[in-house]
Amino acid sequence: MRKRFHGLKRIKLRQSWNKYNLFNLSRVETPKNTERTFFQQKWTAKALTRAYHGETVREKQWTRMFRRTIRSVVPMDHRMLAEKDGSEQAEGRGSGLEPPPDQKPKPFPRTPYLNMTYAPTERRLDTAIFRALFASSTRQARQFVVHGYVKVNGKKMIYPGYQLNPGDMFQVEPDRVLYATGAPKDKFERRAGRKMRAKYSKKTSMAEGSEDAEPQTPKLDPPPESTSTDKTPKETLQSLLSQAKELLATPSTSLTAKRKQDLRAFQRTVRRTLGRPATLTATSLDSQLGEIVARMTTARKAQPASPPSLAPEVPELSTPELQAEAATLDSTQLKTLRDALNDARENPVDPSKPYATPWRPREWMSAFAFVPRYLEVHQRVCAAVYLRHPVARPGLAEVPTPYGTEINTLAHNWYLRRR
Amino acid sequence: MFRWLNGPGSVFRHPLPGSTNYLNAYDRNGRLHRAKGPSLEKTEQKREKDQDEDDDDEEVDEDGEIIPKKTQKIKEAKIVETKDGPPLPKENTEDLMPFPLNRQFRSQHVLSEELKDAIYERVMVEGQSVRNVSAVLGVEMNRVGAVVRLKALEKEWEKQGKPIAVSYAKAVLRMLPSTPYVPNDPITHESINDLPVHRATEIQIFHPVSESRHFTRRDAGRVFDRELKPAEDRVPHTELVQLQKWRHEGIISEERQRLQREKDSKDVQSRKVLERKRKEREAREIKKVETERSEFRFQDIRVESVGRNGRSQDGVGARYGVPHQDRKKGQIKIPRRVA
Repeated sequence: MRKRFHGLKRIKLRQSWNKYNLFNLSRVETPKNTERTFFQQKWTAKALTRAYHGETVREKQWTRMFRRTIRSVVPMDHRMLAEKDGSEQAEGRGSGLEPPPDQKPKPFPRTPYLNMTYAPTERRLDTAIFRALFASSTRQARQFVVHGYVKVNGKKMIYPGYQLNPGDMFQVEPDRVLYATGAPKDKFERRAGRKMRAKYSKKTSMAEGSEDAEPQTPKLDPPPESTSTDKTPKETLQSLLSQAKELLATPSTSLTAKRKQDLRAFQRTVRRTLGRPATLTATSLDSQLGEIVARMTTARKAQPASPPSLAPEVPELSTPELQAEAATLDSTQLKTLRDALNDARENPVDPSKPYATPWRPREWMSAFAFVPRYLEVHQRVCAAVYLRHPVARPGLAEVPTPYGTEINTLAHNWYLRRR
Repeated sequence: MFRWLNGPGSVFRHPLPGSTNYLNAYDRNGRLHRAKGPSLEKTEQKREKDQDEDDDDEEVDEDGEIIPKKTQKIKEAKIVETKDGPPLPKENTEDLMPFPLNRQFRSQHVLSEELKDAIYERVMVEGQSVRNVSAVLGVEMNRVGAVVRLKALEKEWEKQGKPIAVSYAKAVLRMLPSTPYVPNDPITHESINDLPVHRATEIQIFHPVSESRHFTRRDAGRVFDRELKPAEDRVPHTELVQLQKWRHEGIISEERQRLQREKDSKDVQSRKVLERKRKEREAREIKKVETERSEFRFQDIRVESVGRNGRSQDGVGARYGVPHQDRKKGQIKIPRRVA
């Protein structure tokens, strides 16, 4: 890493979500080009834009990648195409009929071709990963590729300079994505992780001494799917409860007041549910909860349409225990219970993870969060498809570049090799 | 720097609930442009203007009938409820610029989860064609294909029990502008009939023709390049143009639907024929020899496939007298494609 990657004196914008970069972005201005030679202007423009676009790519490599041809599209109206054959543009004196002044069409916005100067760098795998919001900077994306966390079309790809072809699908290991985009751990969470690791290593060393012990995962909670299968629902609820307690006990400032309130409400509801042994024996708590919740939602939907139909809605539950359950818990409680339960399942506390758990986005991320149209990103599996090469269209260039047309034009001129 | 980060810049520390949170949406003091009282009407007007500037497209309903385009007005008119303070108006194009200096770049809408589900449902469960789904929902065809592929991957992961990054997906989608799914009148996500600008048309040509001549788009295309087809044949959704032509000819809607269906079935037929021919050719050209360990495939290759300089990518095998270039300076040795 070079010195002063995010310099504050000489502003260089970078492909990263760093707060220094955000500050630089907020105050950056177009350089004043009066009384400077054309060469100087081009030089500055090239330096500024290259600091952002593919700064890991060497200049020689980039000049080889550079293409003076720029892809563009024009959105067509199929009605116009069907109704007119183009001859109307030669009517009148040869350049189409003059429309009456009140019906003059709006001028077509100009296509910003030269903002597409750095389109070839967007084809690189590391840049695409950064654009898909899977890494917090292109350098981090590059590291993910090099370390083997990235697959292209289902095969491991270790070259960050791989030029994506239209239709290529790339996947990043979800845990890495959560690490890259999630908030970092604070010192208490780090300590908890250390303790757990120490405990785990001691356990394994002891196990190795005694006999062939099965390898135990250091995870505190099993992954969300296994929660419902290999544990009884009661245990699940208890573990969730303890998790909530733990979460409230940590002196971390990251929990918002709203979330704390939610957690407390959740604890209360879980305790109440656990306090009824009769219901636990009859059916699994999970399905029971699901049923109650479903009932509640249908009842709420039915309510505005026909209020008298609500009364026979509740007794339709399968077992009398469930019925009693539905009668005792009110809708807000159930909602809290459901939300909190879902939240805890999807986003558990896990000190073994390298990011703060439960996962939350890192700070300053929202100002940088956008997905260009040439990618189709599916965040749930941390995969994206490179649909096509970026194009310019009237009024819009698809290459995300922090500088305007003026600077990009100068940079493009630099690479035309006629200095 | 820290004065800015803790002062006006502190609004970027956490995402704005229910909205995007870009630099251009705020003024120097870190106040939202659109949250200011007096300028509300102005932003409304501006929004109207912006929408008019947006590319106009139409949608086609399930039967292939063209209905006038519903712009994103419905969504734009919605107002974001915030817990403290008055409700925020929806962001306009100005607010969607993440780079203050670059006004030609906007954060464009992404597909919402519901819309992705709807696309997957229509293609994989209902068995509609990608072309049809694309026209109805106003989503590009290759995007439809990609969504189906990605959703299929997700289903696969669910089946395998791999953890899915739900919290991440939720958080990211909350930060991005997204196109919602309205089942009965879908909102157009993007312009689906994009005409790529052909290389040959980038020049200006002075081509005098006689005044009496009916000089059409097709003729103009020929002037640029002998092979250049007119725009109605080069756009992705040529069938929309054809439908509109039929409508213009006064063909009633049932008739139009029938014609459309005929055309679709003919396309399917021709595709099947092509596929069959391809398979036949393969069977003819590739000789397969089964052994107990493996299957050998013999195929004739053409010696000309190595190209004029003997170095073409399509050439097969080591060629006598042609040294490798892989040790030469500047040779790219990383794979060019992953199958």
